[in-house]
Amino acid sequence: MRRILELGGEKTPIWLASTGSTQVLHVGDRAIPCALEKVTGNGAYLLEIDGKQVPLRIAVDEEATFIHFDGRAYEIGRVDPAETLDGSGSGESRDQMVAPMPGVVVSLSVAPGDQVTEGQALMVIESMKLETTITAPRDGIVAEVPFGTGEGFGGKDVLLQLEPEEETD
Amino acid sequence: MSIGKLLVANRGEIAVRVVRTARASGIKTAVLRHPAEVDAPAHLIADEVVTIEGPTPVAAYLDIAQIVEAAKRIGADAVHPGYGFLSENANFVAALDEAGIIFVGPTTEVIDLMGDKIRARAFVEERGFPVAPSAIEDDDPATFVERSRAVGYPLLIKPSAGGGGKGMRVVREDSTLESEIETARREGERYFGDGRLFVERYIERPRHIEVQVMGDGQGNVVHFWERECSIQRRFQKIIEETPSPALSPEQRDEICETAAGIARAVNYRGAGTVEFIYAQDGAFYFLEMNTRLQVEHPVTEMVTGFDLVSEQLRIANGETLGLQQDDIGQTGHSIELRICAENADADFLPAIGDILLMDEPGGPGVRVDSGILQGGKVSTDFDPMLSKLIVHGRDRADAISRARCAAKDYVILGVTTNLGYLDAILAHPKFASADISTGFLSEEAEALKSTQSPGSADILMAATALSDARLVTAVEQVPEIYRMMGGWRN
Repeated sequence: MRRILELGGEKTPIWLASTGSTQVLHVGDRAIPCALEKVTGNGAYLLEIDGKQVPLRIAVDEEATFIHFDGRAYEIGRVDPAETLDGSGSGESRDQMVAPMPGVVVSLSVAPGDQVTEGQALMVIESMKLETTITAPRDGIVAEVPFGTGEGFGGKDVLLQLEPEEETD
Repeated sequence: MSIGKLLVANRGEIAVRVVRTARASGIKTAVLRHPAEVDAPAHLIADEVVTIEGPTPVAAYLDIAQIVEAAKRIGADAVHPGYGFLSENANFVAALDEAGIIFVGPTTEVIDLMGDKIRARAFVEERGFPVAPSAIEDDDPATFVERSRAVGYPLLIKPSAGGGGKGMRVVREDSTLESEIETARREGERYFGDGRLFVERYIERPRHIEVQVMGDGQGNVVHFWERECSIQRRFQKIIEETPSPALSPEQRDEICETAAGIARAVNYRGAGTVEFIYAQDGAFYFLEMNTRLQVEHPVTEMVTGFDLVSEQLRIANGETLGLQQDDIGQTGHSIELRICAENADADFLPAIGDILLMDEPGGPGVRVDSGILQGGKVSTDFDPMLSKLIVHGRDRADAISRARCAAKDYVILGVTTNLGYLDAILAHPKFASADISTGFLSEEAEALKSTQSPGSADILMAATALSDARLVTAVEQVPEIYRMMGGWRN
């Protein structure tokens, strides 16, 4: 399961896997076995990593994780690429698909005017070396596709716009 | 009369601070609340909470008529103004006087005098106390150049109508004085539509040293020694300490006696602070007098053992000071850190957020005066200062060491704070050797930038991934075959 983590302005894609008894964090080509144990009711944890047990304080909110470690507070942004892009992310308009970070359009399978159905693959993009398929959040008609295949886009750019839903009484 | 009930016309950490002492003195307490404030620790310990209305919370706390009315309604005998807001507002004091309510602070006359910086400076100078040499063009335009020359170099030319450093020129040599005056005049006209100037002696790498004074308005004044507050960002103090490492015992006595003398000259009543600019050559000049309790008063309490709010309340109650100067000692060293919601790496931009997790430091010589609660919100409604961390040690090195440990143990998660930045200042070799001035933070900006310790990235990423409940649940639901395969493509 993927996340893209943002720490000190740098974005790093990670993959978490489980081998049954322990978990393994994949960063680049490194595999880091680790385990996290909650030790009190007030955000205190022990992280087992690299043969050591590290005490931490952790607080998690919607988009970021706050960690007090070694006398300092850190804020780590979390992005679930799949979720933000398929339109089911919190607060995301169901008419627009917005890029969570800069990237490139790998392929396009629709054009303005096309009728699409919920869950249909619309385009594939690549950000931070991760390819993600963008699917339609609902049935509708494609209004606009601002970027063509091979074109780059910035964070928060609109990647695809659907015609507004008709009012139904 | 005797104060039976006190209204604290303030909020945040200072409201908590004042309520604690009032309760310990057997006085009933009331604090104010604006409907937008949902998480104020003072509301949890006061006997009574009074809601005040206003278009913004700050407007409500500045609403003299409403606050005086509230004080009357609840039967408060006295009002403590804290610092900021109405603490130096003579109209507020007059309105309380008229309502027969005691103001914990000086008289309207003294507030008016010290609130007018030009009048205060003239008052102090006339009585023989040191002010930086200066010349005001308006006094006699014909002799301005001559009088400027007499001030001595280096000197600073300022537009009379100026502010924010615009149009200011430093002159180091007599040969350039007249041309610089003309340049400054043109700049003053351009920026402020007013070419009138004044000059004052330019103090290179100055330190900010201030003295705590207390008077009873009945002829008795003492000082509670000095504080050094040279560590400032955007002209605001963020670290204060006492004693000042800059002063010799003789200089300390001289500057503290000067401050007490200024307070005596106005028969000062209550707690006040006389601020000085201290030059590298040991000369010091009156800057201004603040007629209230200061944010940084706790460092004074740590080294003298006195509760300054308790003294304020006794004096407001009409008692005499009852203290001789010899009764007030200075033991060990104290440092205060102002914890602010701001990003020190982004030009101290104020930060907002929810305080998701908070844990205060403890241990010998550690005091926290806090205005926040876990679960509370930090908004832009008020000043970004969240709390103050005050430590006391045997000597300066001990105090620095305790302050660094306490800053590291202070957990505030959910909103960006300057705790790491404050620790970086304490760790700076020039701070350790007390080689500081009010320009320190600008001069050392590069060295004070935050750095991430190597090797911490893996720990932070692992902790983030493993505390992400949805991620962990999803991983555990992946069928065994895919777990074995992993899923990384690169």
